Amino acid sequence: MQTSELLNNYDVDPRTWDEMYSLSAVRQQYAGVVGFLQQMSIEELNRKEELAKRLFMSQGITFTVYSSGEGIEKIFPFDIIPRIITAGEWTYIEEGIRQRLNALNLFLKDVYNSQFILKDGIVPYEMVYSCPHFLREMHGFPVPYDIYVHIAGIDLIRDSDGTFYILEDNLRTPSGVSYMLENREITKRIFPDLIPRNNVRTVTEYPAILHRNLASLSPRQTSQPTIVLLTPGIYNSAYFEHTTLARLMGVELVEGRDLVIDNHRVYMKTTAGRQQVDVIYRRVDDHFLDPLVFQPDSMLGVAGIMSAYRKGNVAIVNAVGNGVADDKAIYAYVPAMIRYYLNEEPILKNVPTYQLGNPEERQYVFSNMNQMVVKRTNESGGYGMLMGNSAGDEEIQRYQQEILKDPRQFIAQPIISLSSAPCYLNGRLAPRRVDLRPYALCGPEGIQIVPGGLTRVALREGSLVVNSSQGGGSKDTWVLSN
Amino acid sequence: MLSRVADSLYWMSRYMERTDGILRMLRINYASSQDDLQNFSWKPVLSIFTYLDKERAIAISHQSRAVLQYMVTDKDNRNSVLNIVTLARENARSVQDHITKELWQCLNDFYHTIRDEQVVRGLYADDPISTLDVLVRQGLLYYGITDITMARGEGYAFLNIGKFIERGVQSADILDVRFSDLQLDLVRTDPSYWKYLLLSISGFEYYLKTYRSGFDARNVVEQIVLSANFPRSILYSISRLQLHFQRLKGDGNREAFQRIDFMIGKIYSKVRYSTVDSILQQGLHAYLISIKEDLYEVGIALNQYYFAYS
Repeated sequence: MQTSELLNNYDVDPRTWDEMYSLSAVRQQYAGVVGFLQQMSIEELNRKEELAKRLFMSQGITFTVYSSGEGIEKIFPFDIIPRIITAGEWTYIEEGIRQRLNALNLFLKDVYNSQFILKDGIVPYEMVYSCPHFLREMHGFPVPYDIYVHIAGIDLIRDSDGTFYILEDNLRTPSGVSYMLENREITKRIFPDLIPRNNVRTVTEYPAILHRNLASLSPRQTSQPTIVLLTPGIYNSAYFEHTTLARLMGVELVEGRDLVIDNHRVYMKTTAGRQQVDVIYRRVDDHFLDPLVFQPDSMLGVAGIMSAYRKGNVAIVNAVGNGVADDKAIYAYVPAMIRYYLNEEPILKNVPTYQLGNPEERQYVFSNMNQMVVKRTNESGGYGMLMGNSAGDEEIQRYQQEILKDPRQFIAQPIISLSSAPCYLNGRLAPRRVDLRPYALCGPEGIQIVPGGLTRVALREGSLVVNSSQGGGSKDTWVLSN
Repeated sequence: MLSRVADSLYWMSRYMERTDGILRMLRINYASSQDDLQNFSWKPVLSIFTYLDKERAIAISHQSRAVLQYMVTDKDNRNSVLNIVTLARENARSVQDHITKELWQCLNDFYHTIRDEQVVRGLYADDPISTLDVLVRQGLLYYGITDITMARGEGYAFLNIGKFIERGVQSADILDVRFSDLQLDLVRTDPSYWKYLLLSISGFEYYLKTYRSGFDARNVVEQIVLSANFPRSILYSISRLQLHFQRLKGDGNREAFQRIDFMIGKIYSKVRYSTVDSILQQGLHAYLISIKEDLYEVGIALNQYYFAYS
């Protein structure tokens, strides 16, 4: 039978945790899906894959690559086999993220106000002050409800024994949530009835929760605050996400040029004159937000918006200056923050991290380069990093020279193998490495995490890099109820 | 509504109306070029819908395939269907939260269709009418989806304002070029000339039912300028423009509303109280030019009072 072929060729690397297979048996959470796939022929599965592609294309869930004056529409690769998380795993993840976010919010409040954590020597001063995302403009400014991180996309990975680790805290403008929503919609289309039959929890509340949180931040006491989503514009690769969220929340999608500041208030330019804006969910980075305060040549921001923000006339989400808390070098101190602020043991582990600014740790890393991944602290998206196991000697040497020029800009971590999950590739199932990014929303009523998230997958065989800029794709992510 | 959004909706709509006009024109003219007319010339079509200079227009005016290619898929032709559909889609893309998801998908599909080699192959190698039909149908989907799914708010008003300004200008252009082509030799013209002109704006059947005495240039002028029931007439376009503009009345910006309302009312009266005789007396060309200029003025005023955001 064709489908047993589908499974027989599934070769799991014995040193990795596979989400579907354990000791050559299918894990219970995958039984429903595997049973379903077994009823299908290769041709049917190929057709499903085709349908998925067509749906992405026709809905315009695409990004544009501009070359030689012409735009080419691309879709982010989507793998049709869902990634499944059990109820037990989810409870653990949820608690861990909640704890971590509480600590990170307290850290941001502290570091921009009294700085107890620095005075007590838990986090070194130089770590904070050398971070380019630590913004003095935020010092002593009380943000509404003391919430800095309203939206977080925290990246998790699993080591060979299945333990979850936090890889990164994305606390600035985490993206990808539209793929969590759209991937689910696509699964509903290509696998009818499969979702209800497997007791999959829904993710569709996300926009409603976000909208409620945004509305609660309005500085004006009005039942209908004006909420806008600030986008860099249609040339941004996440533009599709911005339009989707604006549409699903029913808020206005604006660009910097649509806004104007008058007397420390933000207005949007409408056909009926100016309309005051109360809450801005911005998808523009801090440094482009206000040309008067940050990068003076920014065309994406609004001149004077920081003064309106500091006067408390407009709420900005996420808060400005969050980058100091998700900096890759500060990351190493998050477990200490949890102990310091909450007096709790961290639920979710950190990946061990070496500060290359510290000579002893640097020495250790340099002599074990082939087991390390080295990252720049201020880069994201998989750019500028070195995988020690696959790099050549010359490349390593060149990279070491770079490191020595400014060691603070680098950290190293032992290479974690990442768990694998089944992907449908070339007519059969093959294991590929995945990570997980759940989205946490933090409002005055607490932290809510929609049961699901974005599973990114390294589609290249053997690759450990899941970023979309490096050949990564995504999967629908199921959280089961019981 | 954001000024930028209103601007984008207005232009999206203008581009789509132009797309429809061009495609219909091409479809009928191609059919006409296959009739037994000697030396069919594309010159009038080229002069209405492209920016080609005289020499280049004359150079390709007898090559149907070259004209189709230039006007549908040429990337260097600013007004090719490919380019204006792309512009319409770009406008739609930036206002996705103000149009329905179905409308966005429709424009997105149109864009992918016209970039599909298989679809446009017919223009060069096979039956162009099949290709043009596919494209016209995409445009019809756009009209249908707009009508059925769009809320009757400010956005809908700007869509229609754009659509009817574009249509009025287009009808004036078509009539103007077709008549100047004849040098007003109204009597001795071949009846099929009128037939194809009317077909290209979907007005042939209407003509037959309204005027039973055969083809007469005066009747053609009456239908295209003055008919209240023919959906591509200038009068009809302006009356719709007026209707949809009225819907902006309650939305603040009172001074701007009054000013533009006055401008539109004036154009409407000008056309409503013209007759074929008064038009011909004034000179058809001069008359049409003045109508077009008035419509452009409205466009400029809209830009100034409603769309200005920079």
